[in-house]
Amino acid sequence: MIPAALLLVPMVPLLAAALLWSPGPLRRWGTALAPWTALPALMLALAAPLEEPVAVTWLLLGTFVGLDTAGRLFLVFTALVWTLAGAHARAYVKTHVHRYFFFHLLALSGNLGLVVAQDLASFYLFFALMTFSAYGLVVHDRTPDAYRAGRVYVVMSVVGETLLLAAFLLAAATAPTLALADIRAAAADAPEGPLLIALLLAGFGIKAGAVPLHMWLPLAHPVAPTPASAVLSGCMIKAGLLGWLRFLPLGEAALPGWGQLVIALGVGAAFFGVAVGVTQRNPKTVLAYSSVSQMGIINVAVGIGLSDPDAWRFALPAIPLYAMHHGLAKSALFLGVSAAGRGLRRVGLVLPALALAGAPLTSGAIAKLALKDAAAVAPGAWTVWLDVALPLAAVGTTLLMVRFLAVLPGDRAHVSRGVIVPWALAVAASTVALWIVPWWVDLGLTPLTAGRPAYLWTAVWPLMVGAAVAGLAVALRRRGALPAAPEIAPGDLLVPIERQWARIRRRPMADVPVAGIEGPPDPVASLASSWYGLFAESGPRDRLAQVEARLLRWESAAALTIALVVLLWLVTP
Amino acid sequence: VIDAAFWLPLFVLLTSLVTALLIFALGEEQQRLRTTLNMAGATLKIALIAVITMGVLEGREYETRWSWLPGLDFVLRVDPISLLFAALSSLLWLLTTIYAIGYLEDSPHRSRFFGFFGLCVTATMGVALAGNLITFFIFYEMLTVATYPLVIHRATPRALAAGRTYLLYTLGGGTVLLAAVAWLQTVAGPVEFVSGGVLDEFAVSHRGPLVGVFVLLMIGLGVKAAIVPLHGWLPVAMVAPAPVSALLHAVAVVKAGAYGIVRVVYDLYGLELASALGVLTPLAVAASFTIVYGSIRALSEGELKRRLAYSTVSQLSYIVLGVAIFGPMATMGGLVHLMHQGFMKITLFFCAGNLAETLGIHHVREMRGVARRMPLTMGAFTIAAFGMMGVPPLAGFISKWHLGVGGVQADQPWVILVLAASSLLNAMYFLPIVLTAWFPADDTAWERPAGSLETHWMLLLPALATAAIVIGAGVFAAWPFSPLGMTRIIVERMYSP
Repeated sequence: MIPAALLLVPMVPLLAAALLWSPGPLRRWGTALAPWTALPALMLALAAPLEEPVAVTWLLLGTFVGLDTAGRLFLVFTALVWTLAGAHARAYVKTHVHRYFFFHLLALSGNLGLVVAQDLASFYLFFALMTFSAYGLVVHDRTPDAYRAGRVYVVMSVVGETLLLAAFLLAAATAPTLALADIRAAAADAPEGPLLIALLLAGFGIKAGAVPLHMWLPLAHPVAPTPASAVLSGCMIKAGLLGWLRFLPLGEAALPGWGQLVIALGVGAAFFGVAVGVTQRNPKTVLAYSSVSQMGIINVAVGIGLSDPDAWRFALPAIPLYAMHHGLAKSALFLGVSAAGRGLRRVGLVLPALALAGAPLTSGAIAKLALKDAAAVAPGAWTVWLDVALPLAAVGTTLLMVRFLAVLPGDRAHVSRGVIVPWALAVAASTVALWIVPWWVDLGLTPLTAGRPAYLWTAVWPLMVGAAVAGLAVALRRRGALPAAPEIAPGDLLVPIERQWARIRRRPMADVPVAGIEGPPDPVASLASSWYGLFAESGPRDRLAQVEARLLRWESAAALTIALVVLLWLVTP
Repeated sequence: VIDAAFWLPLFVLLTSLVTALLIFALGEEQQRLRTTLNMAGATLKIALIAVITMGVLEGREYETRWSWLPGLDFVLRVDPISLLFAALSSLLWLLTTIYAIGYLEDSPHRSRFFGFFGLCVTATMGVALAGNLITFFIFYEMLTVATYPLVIHRATPRALAAGRTYLLYTLGGGTVLLAAVAWLQTVAGPVEFVSGGVLDEFAVSHRGPLVGVFVLLMIGLGVKAAIVPLHGWLPVAMVAPAPVSALLHAVAVVKAGAYGIVRVVYDLYGLELASALGVLTPLAVAASFTIVYGSIRALSEGELKRRLAYSTVSQLSYIVLGVAIFGPMATMGGLVHLMHQGFMKITLFFCAGNLAETLGIHHVREMRGVARRMPLTMGAFTIAAFGMMGVPPLAGFISKWHLGVGGVQADQPWVILVLAASSLLNAMYFLPIVLTAWFPADDTAWERPAGSLETHWMLLLPALATAAIVIGAGVFAAWPFSPLGMTRIIVERMYSP
């Protein structure tokens, strides 16, 4: 009964997507149902008992579905955020509604499916489904910026998928079945261990927005329609994180070198996101950089678990908790961008911002305390460093949130109820959810995590420092004592890379027409041309085609074959 | 009472041979009769294959044999591997026939076209069911000759030039193949295809000649299988009408080469002997090079069919790569790709034909926003293209998966590098097409279809059917009757001691 229900979780959105392709009344049904298709998943996540992986042998390469504790929490916030975003989109998306919901549903199906998937092939399936259909959300508005973001997104995603394919093949070769437990065990003692770990870290790292693989994120999240930004930042990047949980040999093997690298990159990302984020003028870009920063903080827990199997027990609870906290708060903030206003609507935005900064009594405080538990068992000197770095990161987050509220347009005259209500529910969910979760799900948290006496002060001082720094900066700016910070172009590291790429392309064949799509200014064309740049259209100047044409007159093909055979003969021992 | 075990393999050939001969006899204007004959022949063939499949699963054996010359038998035999190829070809013949009827409506020389088309299918079936090398060779050459009139069907200068190139390559390959067959005859006498190989006893005494024969066989077969540098004819032959490109240059002709390599390695030499002779690694290297090279060339082709042709060059070598790696998973990957590649590539060619026939689109740059005008065609195209990239759950993923895992298990992890590079390159030449078709900056390039369907239903249906197969073969791969399930049976028999 339950396995069948778990299979339905990704199927419901797929069926609704199929309705959208049907004629007439069915299509209207599809649109009407679309926002609510994550509700079955939400109910299942809340009500169903935990389920050991169950085999569905006829599907794919032999599928397993199941619901574990981490999966349950991921499913709760994923389904919730998608539902609220869907409801928000009903009012927000005005053009090409069918198209929007089609990609919404496909990506949703992928996002839900990868949480309940308990084997490699179906996880990869849903991961790919989510990745590729999210492109439709990113470029929905068809602006030049959207196409640029989409281009970067597609290129990086395809690279990520390829890295993952290689990793999965390596891991699966020695595993008895494709069930995730077997894959993890195989990954722990695969002969190509280091390569495998590197591929997994990079492949999922792209999705998770791990610095320096984050470049697509600050471009794509802001240009997407607001509800899509909410699910991108709230849920989809968490899929990369879940991928790490599912595939890295956490708790199985001690990989201190990799672990410390992940911790270091995570801490670096936490500050990097803040540093670039505070210079941004677009509120959604500020939020995107905040996501980069927050994912860095979560990744610290992954690094701790990777270094030491015994530490994993303490690090594990922090990850779904923090992911849930960030998912809810960040989606509330994104949805808030289109619902911003004065009075209560301003307060409603401040709440998740405070939570993100880890203010006392917010969900952020609980998530951060769980993280502190993990940091206590970090390898080597990292316990000390993290003790300093994590509060400082909270200072940074406070700054980012101040910046976000500062650049957010003050008031919007007409905001429909359909936009406001889902956002208000997101705010409410982000405020209360983490107060319920530790009592509802047994995560193996240290008792009284939230009740420690020192807790108030640790949560409060970064906030105060952050507020003070922000206040000081504003005061100095007003007096003209502080020059305006230059805006770092969104995508940061990408900018020099793109410049370099353009130079490489231009050098050898500046005026050659580019194969593929061209003609009047079409932004997708640049996707093609950036890829084909090195391989110009077959014509007098395409060297490879020219060489081939010469070699493949049949006489020379025959001669070449004979030469190759002789060569093989000589080199074969 | 007729002896089914003897006659059924022959009937499989006769269904298309008789159809072809009758069609030659028909007048150009007897369209209805011709269509009926075509459909009846194709349907009958599928029914026969289904009956035979059932029988084989029950353990029955089918063989047509008569002595021709002393020591030279003509043998048609059904075994699981031949069923794989026969089932693929007969199913796709039916779909392509539907497609061709829609495609060639009102164009001249249809009797000639369908006649030779039937002959090609007959030859392909002969290649599939051939039970020994000499029978295989006969049908292999018949396929060459029967395809030529189809390549030059339009009789334009370009088509005639392409036909010349095609003949030079394939007849050259055929000559090499004949030399190999003759040489092997002098070494080992008459040889039949038997699972596990039949040449073990000559391994020590005739090591050199066996290696020599293998190399010649690979060259002879490599022409049709389009292994670089023997692939030159394939992109040129794309001037042929779309149904020809679809069935012959995505499935029958090129697969005859790849299938021949499968036969030679598995059923003539046997994997163990081939591996001991040290001929598998060079073959794997050649296949890997072809995979990467074909993809790189596909990148720079702006003409849709030529890009697909280079993609075929690349994808065919997946089969060869799977054959050249010693291990059950790799074998499954190679064999299953024999079918999967056929379904995916024929879908792409159907779609390319639809675009050309309906809108006059031949070049990738004309495809901007075309999905708005032909959503179903581009939907099928997208599915097949994603399959080619190896995105799960589509058929191509299943192939790639088994090849990669098989490579690692056979201690050849570099295979993963080849597969990853190929996936990336596939994405690079397919994704821009898909994205530009679906996500144009302006929606004005093409209007929605005015009528009920975006194109003739006979053009649309085959593409949708094969696209559905691409999904189904992947999603239900674990099902015993999926292509993967069939190859699993073959591989279990092959590797059981």
